[in-house]
Amino acid sequence: MIIKLELFGMSKEFSKDEFLHFEFDNEITVKDLRIKLEQMIKNEFPKNNNYLEVVKKSAFSSEDNEIVEDNYKLNKDQKLAIIPPIGGG
Amino acid sequence: MFHCDVVNLKISKISLERATDFIESHKCGASLFFIGTVRDMNNEKEVTGITYDSHDKMVKKSFKEIYEDAIKKLKLEHPVAFVEHVKGYVPLGGISIIIAVACKHRSQVYEFSRFIIEEIKKKTPIWKKEHYKGEDAKWLEGQQIQIKK
Repeated sequence: MIIKLELFGMSKEFSKDEFLHFEFDNEITVKDLRIKLEQMIKNEFPKNNNYLEVVKKSAFSSEDNEIVEDNYKLNKDQKLAIIPPIGGG
Repeated sequence: MFHCDVVNLKISKISLERATDFIESHKCGASLFFIGTVRDMNNEKEVTGITYDSHDKMVKKSFKEIYEDAIKKLKLEHPVAFVEHVKGYVPLGGISIIIAVACKHRSQVYEFSRFIIEEIKKKTPIWKKEHYKGEDAKWLEGQQIQIKK
């Protein structure tokens, strides 16, 4: 199963691309995705605690543009978005 | 009556005229314009511009929900609202958001406009990257999005 994660705000600094791709063998939850993202940050930006903090404080949204909780199940290929802390206006 | 949009500055411009035309109504005795602009200083740094990022679909959905919440909570009569936020680079002094509202009576437009901007700050997925004189640009920390229960 492939989860395509669209990047917004500060999370755009996590990659040169607009999306990150994560592969999982079985059904997961949003919490598992968050952990996987944290692992990626630790590997690729080992000295950047700020990025880790952003991931901790971020929400995630589903393909139908709803914020989903950490226990939301993901069991097929799909696109999600990371919603870091906001600040428009 | 409601209109909202995310204006991608690479292909369009934000327009006060469009807002004025939209909120014009003979049923309303009061109208109010809120215009957000890029100011010159933030956190003691000299700001030269801001790049706005936006989850467009969620932003439009959020604007509509905020409008509907305002009608319910403020018990507005003949509410009309126009909300547009930009996406892309805005130089110092440039417009980032227009909230134009109209209602039957004047007291309601102040409440209505204030409600919309305060809710946007809490619930709408928009991000700012500030550009400074002599320093690297930086994404602002912001606040965790407030989830609708």
